[in-house]
Amino acid sequence: MSALEIENIRKTYGAIETLKGIDISLDSGEFLVLLGSSGCGKSTLLNIIAGLAEASGGDVRIGGRSVLGVHPKDRDIAMVFQSYALYPNLSVRRNIGFGLEMRGVPTAEREKAVLETAKLLQIENLLDRKPGQLSGGQRQRVAIGRALVRKPQVFLFDEPLSNLDAKLRMEMRTELKRLHQMLGTTIVYVTHDQIEAMTLATRIAVMRNGRIEQLGTPEEVYDHPATLYVAGFVGSPPMNVLDGVATGEGLRLDGSDRLIALPVHFKNAVPSGKRVKIGIRPEALRLVEDDDRQPALKVAVEVVELTGPELVVTGRVGGQRVTACLPPRTKLAVGTTQAFAFDDDALHLFDAETELAFGR
Amino acid sequence: MERKSVLFFLFIHACALLLAAVILAPLVWLFVMSISPAADLTAKPLRWWPQAVDFSRYGVLLSSVENSAGAAFVASLINSIAVAGMATIAALGLAIPAAWAVSRTPAVGWSLYMVIATYMLPPVALAVPLYFGLSHLGLLNNVFGLALVYLTILAPFTTWLMKSGFDAIPKEIEAAAMMDGAGLFATLRIITLPLAAPVMATSALFAFLLAWDEFFYALLFTSDLRAKTLTVAIADLAGGRVSDYGLIATAGVLAALPPVAIGLIMQRALISGLTSGGVKG
Repeated sequence: MSALEIENIRKTYGAIETLKGIDISLDSGEFLVLLGSSGCGKSTLLNIIAGLAEASGGDVRIGGRSVLGVHPKDRDIAMVFQSYALYPNLSVRRNIGFGLEMRGVPTAEREKAVLETAKLLQIENLLDRKPGQLSGGQRQRVAIGRALVRKPQVFLFDEPLSNLDAKLRMEMRTELKRLHQMLGTTIVYVTHDQIEAMTLATRIAVMRNGRIEQLGTPEEVYDHPATLYVAGFVGSPPMNVLDGVATGEGLRLDGSDRLIALPVHFKNAVPSGKRVKIGIRPEALRLVEDDDRQPALKVAVEVVELTGPELVVTGRVGGQRVTACLPPRTKLAVGTTQAFAFDDDALHLFDAETELAFGR
Repeated sequence: MERKSVLFFLFIHACALLLAAVILAPLVWLFVMSISPAADLTAKPLRWWPQAVDFSRYGVLLSSVENSAGAAFVASLINSIAVAGMATIAALGLAIPAAWAVSRTPAVGWSLYMVIATYMLPPVALAVPLYFGLSHLGLLNNVFGLALVYLTILAPFTTWLMKSGFDAIPKEIEAAAMMDGAGLFATLRIITLPLAAPVMATSALFAFLLAWDEFFYALLFTSDLRAKTLTVAIADLAGGRVSDYGLIATAGVLAALPPVAIGLIMQRALISGLTSGGVKG
């Protein structure tokens, strides 16, 4: 049985439709990340699941039971807010135990649960402090503890890490992953950070303009982006997208007369003469001696940046910008023209009009 | 660390002292007047410090002999406390739910602005209708009637002040409490109102002061000891054939004490401010 089912959820504010029919079914123990830039409707969707907003149409079922019109407290969910939303006037102990307190759990039992949760999050020494006396990371842990202690069916996270600094964010990310692996809870997690999505999710729903562009495992989303938007959104630096046209012999890049052989699996999918967008991830490019035996781009190198773990090379091929990520010790001179090869598998093709990926 | 010269240090402190002196000077003079013998107050050139200290006027005003000036003053003091206290408590009682509702439901915000618009009317415009209204209800020259009139002044003001206080409390905190299973009243009692305590204290203090200092309506709607408030009583002291400036000053000092006492009691709440840390600041 699905832990959470979202069926054709719509949301309109006046004439503006922020959610245009969302369908997701989530098994117990899954970690779903709703990924998208601001305004894509991901937080609205989360609020509808939480019961903080009403859907204009569709249904939400938690554990098989429709929760439309059910008060948030009766939905068997817990939520971690972006702003933490701790109760500043209550101690950490009462913050974590508040949900149990309100549900009339006896004091002894409550104390035990709070302590267990605090141990799990390594904050048992902070229990008597007020939220104002905690650091950002500690507050985040308290907020997570407040959700964990109730052992709900579904956890909702609304950009929980976006208020933390970079180092702490990575730590907490790992921590969340550890907790999920250990507790096997069902989680819906909203973020605009594709790294968080890739690392945490068992499935990612990439959202845009109130629609799901792609729903799949991180590998699927990364290796086989369904649309040009997903291709550009997931991955850093983003995927190179080159304009071109499919011909009988292969792919011809705009502004370049060199042909790229069309990989076998695209042969029947792409009609000849079709305008296409050619996607190649920067990390799929490798520097080769220039020859015609393998598919390669001839790039006029303009900028070379060493980030530490990799060398980011920016250049142009036929007037179109291309980025490549190379091993850090690669010797490369600015102003030269270099050949970058890639595997057939690394080539993504999108319809230039619909921006949908061509099937394989 | 900023480096400051000694001169700058002195300058800053001199400025602070000057500001304090400007603010306190009238109060000090009021007190000096209240303990100066009558002769000193009319002497030329003016004596800044009395030759003899004379506390007798405090005795006069606080005496409980029947039909004395003291009895009248004490009665008006009690009336003032009753009227201002009742009006303040009632105003808070109305303003807390109203302000919370308006703060959390912006769609009904216009109603608050409508009420505040009545504030733009000068009191004199409302004096006649209020007089007839009170007369009809038999509440003229009655502390309850006057408190009711003051409530119409205080309630919009406190609502408006507290709305901004509630606005400063993030909605997520209440949403979190709601998901944690707290009902509306539990959320308000355990979470929202404690967080709003500073602004509630501020509202209460200002409301009390507003009612305490009100003169115009009190003059119109009260006529004797049963309801006359301090401001009117002090005016009466000045209204006789001979004005004892010292006595007026003494009444002023005594009239200032209750608000000061309330201010001191509420100081902790006033300066504590919102407890931070619930959300990322």
